[in-house]
Order: sequence, then structure tokens, then C-alpha cells
Amino acid sequence: MRATLIRANLIRTNPQNATRQKPSLIKAAVIAVLLLFTLFALPQILSLYYIDTMTQVAVYSMVTLALGVLVGRVGLVSLGQVAVLAIGAWVAARLLFATTQPYPVILVEAGLITMAAGTITGLAALRLRGLYLALITLMLAGAITVVLATVNFPNGGHGFLGYNGSLVHIPPIRRPSIASTDPAYFRYAVIVAIVMFALAAAHIKTKPGRAWAAIRQSEPAALAAGINTTLYKLWALALASFITGVAGGVLAGAVHYLYSIDFPTQDSITLLAVTLMGGVYSMWGAVVAALLYQFLPALLNNWGVSADWLIILFGLGVLQVLTTAPAGLADQVPRDLARLGRLLRSRSRSRSRGRGRTRPRSAP
Amino acid sequence: MPPWSDFEPFIVSGLALGGVYALSGVGLVVLYRATGVLYLAFGAVGALGALTAWELGQKGAPGWLNDLVCVAVAAAVTLGYGLIFGPALAKRDPLVKAVATIGLTLVLYGLMDLLWTTSGGEARSLGLPTDNGGFSIGQIQVNWTQVIGLAAGVVITVGTGVFLRYTKLGTAMRAMANDREITATLGVPVRRVEAAAWLGCGVLAGVAGLLLADLVALDATTLTFLVISSLAAVLIARLRSITLTFAAAIVIGVLHDLLTPITSLTNYRDMTPFVLAAVGLLVMPRSRVMTQSREEA
Repeated sequence: MRATLIRANLIRTNPQNATRQKPSLIKAAVIAVLLLFTLFALPQILSLYYIDTMTQVAVYSMVTLALGVLVGRVGLVSLGQVAVLAIGAWVAARLLFATTQPYPVILVEAGLITMAAGTITGLAALRLRGLYLALITLMLAGAITVVLATVNFPNGGHGFLGYNGSLVHIPPIRRPSIASTDPAYFRYAVIVAIVMFALAAAHIKTKPGRAWAAIRQSEPAALAAGINTTLYKLWALALASFITGVAGGVLAGAVHYLYSIDFPTQDSITLLAVTLMGGVYSMWGAVVAALLYQFLPALLNNWGVSADWLIILFGLGVLQVLTTAPAGLADQVPRDLARLGRLLRSRSRSRSRGRGRTRPRSAP
Repeated sequence: MPPWSDFEPFIVSGLALGGVYALSGVGLVVLYRATGVLYLAFGAVGALGALTAWELGQKGAPGWLNDLVCVAVAAAVTLGYGLIFGPALAKRDPLVKAVATIGLTLVLYGLMDLLWTTSGGEARSLGLPTDNGGFSIGQIQVNWTQVIGLAAGVVITVGTGVFLRYTKLGTAMRAMANDREITATLGVPVRRVEAAAWLGCGVLAGVAGLLLADLVALDATTLTFLVISSLAAVLIARLRSITLTFAAAIVIGVLHDLLTPITSLTNYRDMTPFVLAAVGLLVMPRSRVMTQSREEA
């Protein structure tokens, strides 16, 4: 605790921080430009294939965001996030077939029901910590996958499960009326993702975020500092389940037809790998991870390269992140670029200096 | 409820499967106790070994050589990983160490899918010579591979128990399970003991891969993720007791297979390990000790 205080003081008195205002302004401008580009320019440029891919990126950026919050902010590793996504998609599909409610309402409902499921499971699972918690999420994900394979996703049938195996003409899952075309639905998905990112940011920047940071650094210390660790861990699980549930709802409309084989347990493992690779300590990491997870395979598929190379890359990426770069690509790439820039600048400076004076290079 | 005679053959197959799960589980527990690494790539290295053996078999190599190669490949990959990433991650949290082995799993899985494509490819199989012989107990046919599966589980569990209790290396491993730093201070060559644990675990992964490729299926995905069943047994034993691991593995194997003839439950039989592990973990008493960095098991 004292160390943290000292560090906080150091940060406050650090003169370099006086200039932090400017970068944050630049950052906001960059984000605004990127968002405008994504919303308006991207659907014009891309082919339908890549628009669909980018819709998936938007969906999965929410999933990796949720996992990133759990892993990076609170230190809870979940190996079952794809199963949570499947629950969200199932609930949304069921509600979309059963009711004529507007799409945003369905998304919120899917999020809330997934949140309830996640929180109830979490209430039991939070008796465990660390490795055990990670493994029990894997076990629960496996169980959910098995149930889904038998129950199937709703396809317009009747009853609670809404599945009719003998249906010949399966109706597609509907989309919102304002976003029935692919480019429009892409924009819709991006806007939902923006709302979810804002929701996560609002949590991280306020009291829960500070509590999570304390828990991540040391649970005993957080407990000693008077933080209700169980409450805030549950809170994180609830938030992550909500975001993932909403993502499931967006996914349901994006693909029109849902199949249980599209949510295998091993995808949860790959998802953790890309989330770690993207970087769990910043929100950019979630976007990078979603691009790795959905955009890169589509690109390779277009080029005729086997997706297996990606799996190998993700595996190596996990090993690299865990051994050398804990903050992932979102942190590493800008830092390496900055380092490269500094290197080039100093190189050119020393060269111009070398021209002016003929000092031997080996001088101390 | 189907008649009892429908269940009988599934008891045999369940026991065989449980035996292999037990063997895998014991390998996982010993490695975890000695190095703090929960080796999630256990199934993947076994699959790699089995597929390599299959490849050799296609080239016409004799059966015994293939089996040997299977074990050797699994052992070599495991030892290699242990030597490179073991020391690099030695001081990290068990969770980090476990997630790192997911990295290895993905690398191996991608590699296997690349070399031995599963989708649309011909069904592979890796038969052992023991598949043909056998005997019958009453109405039930038992083949020697099934006997080997169960026997291997029993022998490895008992053997490992004796090894840990009575040999110098086993004592060193138990000491490291308690405290790595203090063990090192006492003059135990920790790196070498860890390497031995990695090698042993790799050998067991190879044996398990060989047996499961015969008993279940020779398929990269199936074999890679079958480790989850052993993992369930290990979790029920709280990564500690090998006797409990053995018992849990047998229960998981038998229960899974016994659900097969029951039509209302047969689709859910793959949930057995997950449900048992979840129940096992959740009803277990919450540990009271809260430590700063080390995982209390």
C-alpha cells in the first residue's frame, strides 16, 4: 500500500506528466478519426466478404474486451468465454424468434440474462482462485458445449428450446430494420461495440477499476485495505458476462443461422491466446485481439494459406507474451516503433554530428 | 432403463479408458507437484507421438518401432519444452505456467492439423497387436488392449507411489513440491530433478497417446482435448493425491461409458468429467490460507 502511495506521488510530481494533457488530446483525436473512418469509409471500401469479416471483428472485440477486463484488470483467467458467447447468442436468438421487441431491447435482455447466468456460476466458482478458477471455467464451458450440441440453437421452432429438427425452411434470425443490409449491420455492430467499450472504460476509470487493480496486484493486500474482494470480482464477472452476452446478440443477427458446432470448447482456449497476444492491459489490445482472431484468418483464407499457421502463430504468441512481453502487442508494437524511431533519429543525429566533427567513434 | 446385459461391455471399456485417464492424471500430478506446471499440452504431445507412429506405420516400419517412436516423440517434446520454458517461468504463478502450456498445445495442434489434415481426410487408425487376442468373462468380450489400459493405470499409480516414497529422486520431487527454494538450498539439483519430472511426464503422455489412439480414435482434436477428462480427475484430487486421481479417473471412465446405453442421457455422457470436476471442486472446503504469490493447493 505504501509503495503504491509513493508511486502515486512520484507520478504526480513527475514533471513529464505536465505534458500528458497533449497526448490525451491527440489520442482522442486519433480515436475519433479511426471511428469515423470505420463507420463511414470502411463499408464503402470493403467487399462484402470483408464487411462480414469486420462485423465479426466488431463482435469479437467485445468478447476479447470482456476477457481482457477479467484477465488484465482483475486477474481472473476464464477459459470458457466462447461458451458465454454461445449463451448470449442462444438467448438472443430465442427472444428474436419469440418476440417482436426492438433489437436494442433484445441485446440488453440477452446481456442481462447472460449476466445472471455468469454471476450465479461465478458465485460458486469464486470460492476458487487462480489456476482452479481457470480450470473450472474450462470444465463449465465443456459442459455447456455438450448441452448445446444436444439442445441446438433456436431455429424458429416452438417450446422453450425453440428448436424443431424437422423444419425444412429455417427462417433466418432477424436483424434490426434499420440495419438489414450487411454494411448497415456492420455499422450497427460497431456502434454497439463502442457503447460496450465505453461501458468498460467507465468501470475501469472509476471505483470498481481501482478495486480491481488492487485485487490484481495482491488479493490479501486488497482485502486488508478494506476492499470487498468477492463483490468486486463478482462485479467484474457480471460486467464481462453482460458484454459477452450483448456480443452474442449481435452475432446472432450477423450470421442469421446459429449452429452449436460453431462454438467448440477449444475456441475458448484460442480466444484466451489472442486476448493475451493483443494485450490485456489496454483496450486497444481487445481490438488487436479481435483482428487477430477474425480478420487474419479471413485474410489468409483469401490468400489460400491454411489457418493452421495462425494457430501455430497464436501458440508462439502466447509463449512470447508470457515470457517477454506481458502487455501484449498493443503495448509492444508502439513501444518498439518508438524505440525504432529514437534509434533512427539518434543514428541520423550522430551522423550529422559525425560530419561536423571528426571524432573517433570508439571514444568513451 | 436398458437391461443390465447392455451395460456389461461398457464396464470393460470404461475401466480401460479410466485406466488410461489415471495414467495421464498421475503424470500430470507428479509434474505439477515437482515443477508447479499443470501440463495442458499432455494430450497434444501424445497425439503428436501417435500420429508420428501412424506415419511411420504407413511407411512400413515394424509395429514395436512405431510404439517406441510415439513415446520418444512425446517425451522429447515435453522435455524440450520443460528445459526451455521451465526455468524461464519458474518463479511465475502456476496459472501463468499453465497458460504457457496452452501456447505449446496450440503450436502442436496447428502443426498436427497442417501435417495430418483431419477434415475430409481418410479415417486413420493405430491398432496395437493386442487388439486381436482376448478372453471373455461370461458374455463380455475383453481384448488385451483394454487389459493393458487398466493395468497400465494401476501399475503406474502404484509404481509412482513407490517411486516417490522410496527413491532418492522421488524424495527430491516431494521436497520440491513443498518448497523449491529450500530444496535448492539443501543441495538438491533442482533443474535436474525437474528435467526428470518432465521426461517422466512426457513418457506417460506418449503411452497415453498410444493407448487412447487405439481405444478412442486417432485424431488430433480428439486426442488433444481428451486431456480434459484426465484434468477433471486431477482437479478432483486437488492436484495432490495420486490415489485419489486414480479413483476419480476410473469413476469418470466407467460412468462415461455406462451412460452410453441409456438413451435419454447418452448425448450428455461427454459432460461426465466436467460435471464431476465442477461438483468435486465446488463442494470441497475453501482453503483458509491466503498467500501472497504461491498457489495453495
